Amino acid sequence: MSLLRPALLSVAMIAIAVGVLGADYALGQATLVTTYAIAGLGLVIIVGQAGQITLGQGALVALGAYVEALLAVRGVPPLLSMPLAVLLGAAGGALASVPAWRLGGLYFAMSTLAFALIVEEMLVRWTSLTRGGAGLSVPAMAWGGLKADTPLEQVVVSVGVLSLVWLACARWMRGRLGRAWRAVREDEIAAAEACGIDVGAAKLHAFVLGGGLAGLAGALYAHWIGFISPEQFGLTFSFELLMLVFIGGARRLSGALWGALVIVSLPQLIALVRDALPGDSSRSAGLETMLFGAVIVLAVLLRPQGLASAAEGGRRRGRGRAPY
Amino acid sequence: MPVFRAFVALVIALSALVAAAATPGVSDREIVLGSIQDLSGPAAMLGSPVRDGMLLRLEEANEAGGVHGRKLRMVLEDSGYDPKRGVLAARKLLDHDQVFAFLANFGTPVVMATMPLIVEAGRPHLFPFSPHESTYSPLHPLKFQIFAPYQRYMDAATRYMVQSRGYRRTCLLYQDDDYGLEVLKGVEAGLARVGQALVEKTSYKRGATDFSSQIARLRAADCDFVVLATVVRETIAAMSEARKTGWMVDMLVTASGYSAQTHELGGMAVDGLYAVSVLPHPYAAGANRALADWIKRYRARFGVDPNVWSAMGYSIADLFVRGARAAGRELTVARFVSALEHLETTRDFFGSPEYHFSGEDHLGNRYGRLAQIRDGRWVILTDYLK
Repeated sequence: MSLLRPALLSVAMIAIAVGVLGADYALGQATLVTTYAIAGLGLVIIVGQAGQITLGQGALVALGAYVEALLAVRGVPPLLSMPLAVLLGAAGGALASVPAWRLGGLYFAMSTLAFALIVEEMLVRWTSLTRGGAGLSVPAMAWGGLKADTPLEQVVVSVGVLSLVWLACARWMRGRLGRAWRAVREDEIAAAEACGIDVGAAKLHAFVLGGGLAGLAGALYAHWIGFISPEQFGLTFSFELLMLVFIGGARRLSGALWGALVIVSLPQLIALVRDALPGDSSRSAGLETMLFGAVIVLAVLLRPQGLASAAEGGRRRGRGRAPY
Repeated sequence: MPVFRAFVALVIALSALVAAAATPGVSDREIVLGSIQDLSGPAAMLGSPVRDGMLLRLEEANEAGGVHGRKLRMVLEDSGYDPKRGVLAARKLLDHDQVFAFLANFGTPVVMATMPLIVEAGRPHLFPFSPHESTYSPLHPLKFQIFAPYQRYMDAATRYMVQSRGYRRTCLLYQDDDYGLEVLKGVEAGLARVGQALVEKTSYKRGATDFSSQIARLRAADCDFVVLATVVRETIAAMSEARKTGWMVDMLVTASGYSAQTHELGGMAVDGLYAVSVLPHPYAAGANRALADWIKRYRARFGVDPNVWSAMGYSIADLFVRGARAAGRELTVARFVSALEHLETTRDFFGSPEYHFSGEDHLGNRYGRLAQIRDGRWVILTDYLK
């Protein structure tokens, strides 16, 4: 049920957007929303379930995007290249989680920040492979005679992938792994270690799975945007992803979709409102950013547990079921 | 037979009307243009004057009756230098606003992400602020550019400086990214053509503020001429460091350092700095009559002084107006492209280069000119260097 409401809302928004704005524009938005939601699911696991703050998720998305781009230009089919992108994202996640064995809280968050900076620097400096700041053009996703280069084809692929990883995440969260993550989140010593949970391994699993999802999102992102360069995956992007999961609701899978809707679509909605403003008021530099910031602040103030909690809280209370 | 001929003529006329009506962004009353600028990101201080310069030219054209009776309307989108937002903005402009053409899209990542969408949709992609070669090469009917890669300007500028001033030991300080490497190639090519080689080169990381080690290294190499592949802040920092240590070597910066901010912020430390300019800075003092009028109009409209970016925005919109006028009343993409391919401009009141396009070449200008900071302002020293 957690999926149904945002999914229905997304479908309704897409339908309205298609009618009002044109099909390609609306489908293009939906493609990016679903792709961001995949990366957001990774953060739901790491932040919402395992309780670890990471400031370097953008770097893991970058790893996936670069693997996919480099393999795609060499003609490697996506069925082979995308698992490799996931693998590298997962390996990056594992590497980023190493300090978690000794550090916690903000100290660990700072180490993930350092990891993100290292990855960005590597992408800039390893010019023979990444072309550095010049960036890489990425061809459309293609395999044999099949190609995903129209907005409709891209949204079909994105929604399909999101559905699959959503089911996988739901399964992980319902099972033993999910219970271990939540114990670590609540209290590493009293709740987790006292129950015999290997805290280090639980964190590692969260980062590996979260990193894999980031890598997968990166692989899709590279195809949809068609051009990647290191500055796209800088700290701003990592913060944007973190903001996504907090706005949407870090403890629920649907939080990733809600957050992605806000992060990707809200600036576009504001742009449409701005167009309707009279005279020179629409010229003001940074108007969209200011409005976007104001909406985010309002969302956080009014829904501190995320938009997903507001949407589902009432129904859950009725059924007496606790959120993860 | 006359009836048949009249019928054929009617069909042709109707077809032309339908074709004109079917051209996105073109109606009987207006032509809609799109532009994706950075108005809130790292290059916002450049994006805003570009936007204002374009708006001023379009408003002037509208006040004069528009282009063949059609008013020009520009829809601006802010990408914040983020290609994801750029892609969404491009789709909005294509689908929702149905723009006829894109003007002056800003920033290489945004341009590279949006350009394929735009040309696939059959819309002209005109004069983007990106020195990337793919904005005009290989030749594509819908891609036009007036800003050449840095390499081209720096080859000619380095050669001219070495030949005219007799430098023997040229060195380079460059940003360690694609921008810096491109300048490096241009400087090496220019030196090779006068039988010299680069004596020393040293790099810095984007965002660096301390250049003491780089300047010490270049000084130790006994350079008599230093080329700077830097942006404004780094240009000031590097030159200030050299002057602070008493090293009065001549320095030449790329067009990225040619900004009023360089002398406004750098003060006396940057006096004497040479730069490559692709369009002169529009100073009010000493301006010709047309330029002075333009500065006055700009101030009255936007409440601030124009800068070189405003002039670039204005020139870009002016090129569009000229192309649309030459295309005639029945405006279609094909007619517009054909008109642009035959467009040849002369120097305007800014002192711009002569833009020239053809069916085989969509890069309108390849040349820059030398300028120098003298008494706190840029002074143009040469004509466009070929």
